[in-house]
Amino acid sequence: MSIQPTEIKLHQQSRVLEISFSDNVTYQLPYEYLRVYSPSAEVTGHGPGEAVLQTGKKNVGIREIVPAGSYAIQIEFDDGHDSGIYTWEYLHELGARQAELWQDYLDRLAAAGESREAR
Amino acid sequence: MSISENDVQNALKNLIDPNTKKDFVSGKSVKNVKITGADVALDILLGYPAQSVWDEIRAMVENHLKAALPGVGKVTANVSSKVVPHAVQRGVKLVEGVKNIIAVASGKGGVGKSTTAVNLALALSAEGARVGILDADIYGPSQPTMLGISGMPESTDGKSMEPMQAHGLQAMSIGFLIDSHDTPMVWRGPMVTQALDQLLHQTRWDNLDYLVLDLPPGTGDIQLTLAQKVPVTGAVIVTTPQDIALMDARKGLKMFEKTGIKIVGIVENMSTHICSKCGHEEHIFGAGGGEKMCADYNVEFLGGLPLDINIREQTDSGRPTVVADPNGNIAKSYKQIARRVAVKIAEMAQDHSAAFPKIVVQNT
Repeated sequence: MSIQPTEIKLHQQSRVLEISFSDNVTYQLPYEYLRVYSPSAEVTGHGPGEAVLQTGKKNVGIREIVPAGSYAIQIEFDDGHDSGIYTWEYLHELGARQAELWQDYLDRLAAAGESREAR
Repeated sequence: MSISENDVQNALKNLIDPNTKKDFVSGKSVKNVKITGADVALDILLGYPAQSVWDEIRAMVENHLKAALPGVGKVTANVSSKVVPHAVQRGVKLVEGVKNIIAVASGKGGVGKSTTAVNLALALSAEGARVGILDADIYGPSQPTMLGISGMPESTDGKSMEPMQAHGLQAMSIGFLIDSHDTPMVWRGPMVTQALDQLLHQTRWDNLDYLVLDLPPGTGDIQLTLAQKVPVTGAVIVTTPQDIALMDARKGLKMFEKTGIKIVGIVENMSTHICSKCGHEEHIFGAGGGEKMCADYNVEFLGGLPLDINIREQTDSGRPTVVADPNGNIAKSYKQIARRVAVKIAEMAQDHSAAFPKIVVQNT
């Protein structure tokens, strides 16, 4: 295993997951960002072009984090979504490409006429 | 000149354990050094089961100390083994009564996983370890036949099962729980993983050093459940030398890498065929496939086994080779492989570098 996290900190007030990796980088990943980029098939769909745009998740919270073996975590969000298994590689990628991926999400929201605010 | 404990430690820093390839001091095997006048007594505690070589190691340590310490009197080394329990990641429940879990896997079916698993388990047991075997192949359980066990496990409390016993092993298989040999388990994935979970956690394993898990082929439900929910110390991959099996073995190996399970090494089964008439040995499935795979992925080649009619006959009749012919060449190969596995498992049990990260919840 190449990338290994050393610590995961949940900031429940500011809704940010802080994750430090063995390659000495630390990323601040907002819960909303993790939620809308969940690797679950409920979000990504079962094939290309089947992704479901997640909306209204601005204030989503995290109830619990469950380890999946020694390679990933399963995040239980307070909107009931709990089927995403985030591998270390995926979390690292979400950190490294955060600005780009977040902008992409905002663009897709705007294009669909949707909003981050819960209705 | 009087001898100090330091002298003894220093002398043993130059003596390499042939099994671990490390010296006894950095292997943390030297305990309880006592010096009385010119006499030296010490304990050598090995992290792997090795009953058959205790005498050899005792002689080696005693002779080395006599040569290295001039003026030394009587040297007494006490050799024993103690298997270290595997440290598991937070969140995954430890299996009660089990120190280490060794998964035996392959990509392809029919390469001899179950045969290798049962002989590996028996070889570890022959070295003095307490060993169990769990048949995780729900659709095609083989262990009841290979161990020659019939009947059903008993339950003393109505909730858990006592493991079955054969040749000194504790065993559990779905095969013990169904009525007849031709009853199929016509089940979808979730049922299968549930069954594995129950076989693993509801069996009352009695103080095992190693639980050998005989996995079904492939990279599906059972393997994923194993990676996510079972505290596996390490995985042994079985393959045959031909390309069509190696191709799938590589996928099996990659799956374990992806899911953070450490690879102990690769066993090449059916490396050669020994003709039962003339004794001629031939690489009928090609040569060097397993070694090449090991080189490609930087994992250890644990050993090769021949395609031998005796292995098949003995295992089919419920007395695997390691118990049917314990001093034969094939049993010797299995025991060598078992020794390497045990040594590597001991190293992995002490390696915390890939430990699960700390998860902290803060009100900030």
